Amino acid sequence: MENRKFDESRLSNWVSLGFKLGVAVALPLIVIGLIILFSLSDAKDIQPLLRLDQIPSAIVISVGILILLLTPIIQVIVSIVLFSKTRNRLFISISVAVFCLAAVSLVLALV
Amino acid sequence: MNGLNLGLNLFWALGGTGLVAGLLGSALGVGGGVLIVPILTLAFHLPIHVALGSSLVAIVANSCTAAGIYTSARLTNVKLGLLLETTAIPGAIISGLAVAVIAPSILTALFGLTLLYVSYTMVMRRQLMSENVLSADDSVAPDNNTNSLSSSLASSYYDQNLGKVVTYKVSRVPVGLGAGFFAGFLSSLLGIGSGIIKVPVMNLVMGLPMKATIATSTFMIAITTTAGALIYHYHGYIYPFIVAPLVIGVVIGAILGVELTKRARGILLRRIFGGFLFLVALLMFLKTANVI
Repeated sequence: MENRKFDESRLSNWVSLGFKLGVAVALPLIVIGLIILFSLSDAKDIQPLLRLDQIPSAIVISVGILILLLTPIIQVIVSIVLFSKTRNRLFISISVAVFCLAAVSLVLALV
Repeated sequence: MNGLNLGLNLFWALGGTGLVAGLLGSALGVGGGVLIVPILTLAFHLPIHVALGSSLVAIVANSCTAAGIYTSARLTNVKLGLLLETTAIPGAIISGLAVAVIAPSILTALFGLTLLYVSYTMVMRRQLMSENVLSADDSVAPDNNTNSLSSSLASSYYDQNLGKVVTYKVSRVPVGLGAGFFAGFLSSLLGIGSGIIKVPVMNLVMGLPMKATIATSTFMIAITTTAGALIYHYHGYIYPFIVAPLVIGVVIGAILGVELTKRARGILLRRIFGGFLFLVALLMFLKTANVI
């Protein structure tokens, strides 16, 4: 019982840290991207085809958004690692299944 | 989309939208997407598909922020959340792929119906949820019918308000899995987190206390909406310059929402918000009929 509580506590610690880190990294990138947009770009039109001077800001913002979207998926990977350390086969299987399903959407997005 | 100029005014308006959505979403446990999508379509006149995609990314930001806080407080049942995601993600992927072929008017009408349901739950139900506190000590009560999965999912947390450890069991997992699929399907279809599905099922059917329910639902929403947002990116519905101010506002609002929860009367907030959503639902139906 004490081992189980310790394992759950460790899982919560790492998952919590992961979420906070993900947002902490993604958000400043998005802010920096907007600063670049408003300071360097002449026009601020939002169109499917970007102006050349908007591309740097779009890249920075997009990287920030990608990191944000990867954050929950990384937490699933963290869970797989922690369940592996405790040899919890049931939840290793569940976590791997969740990762594979999330990976389908990730592959589609990157294609 | 041509001619939409992200001047400072629009930037602040999008940021303000995100702020309010994040604030209410954190304080009420629901409301991020149901607020963002109507505002983006009705006020900013964005195409519904772009509004849905933007909403999903904003919800990811909101739920990641809140999940970090809830999980550090040991409220999140990570194991249960992962289990229910095995059906929620397929639901999100299926509807996310299908949304590209669904007419905007149909999506708008479906969203209006969802708003009516959310409005009803917020205004009309007096006792929406129960606490489901089983025991005050840190051991799970023995149960002859408990299988290994249910016992694996049982958990506990320290409730600061009650000043004691709250222990709970999880039951009716198959119902939760079915609801998870439906919640995931709605999430990508309507650009919402589907907490309106997950929270009642986990609390009233599966037996989680309310705080653990909201925390676990938030954890699940982060993963489900990520899958949906990535599918919307595949369709080309994610515009960085629209999403950026929305995300910034949502994160700030989510953090402030935690403080609002501590100070404001939840039931009053729910009823005011529920009434507002009813009006917004009417506007969405008028938009579907091309009246506005």
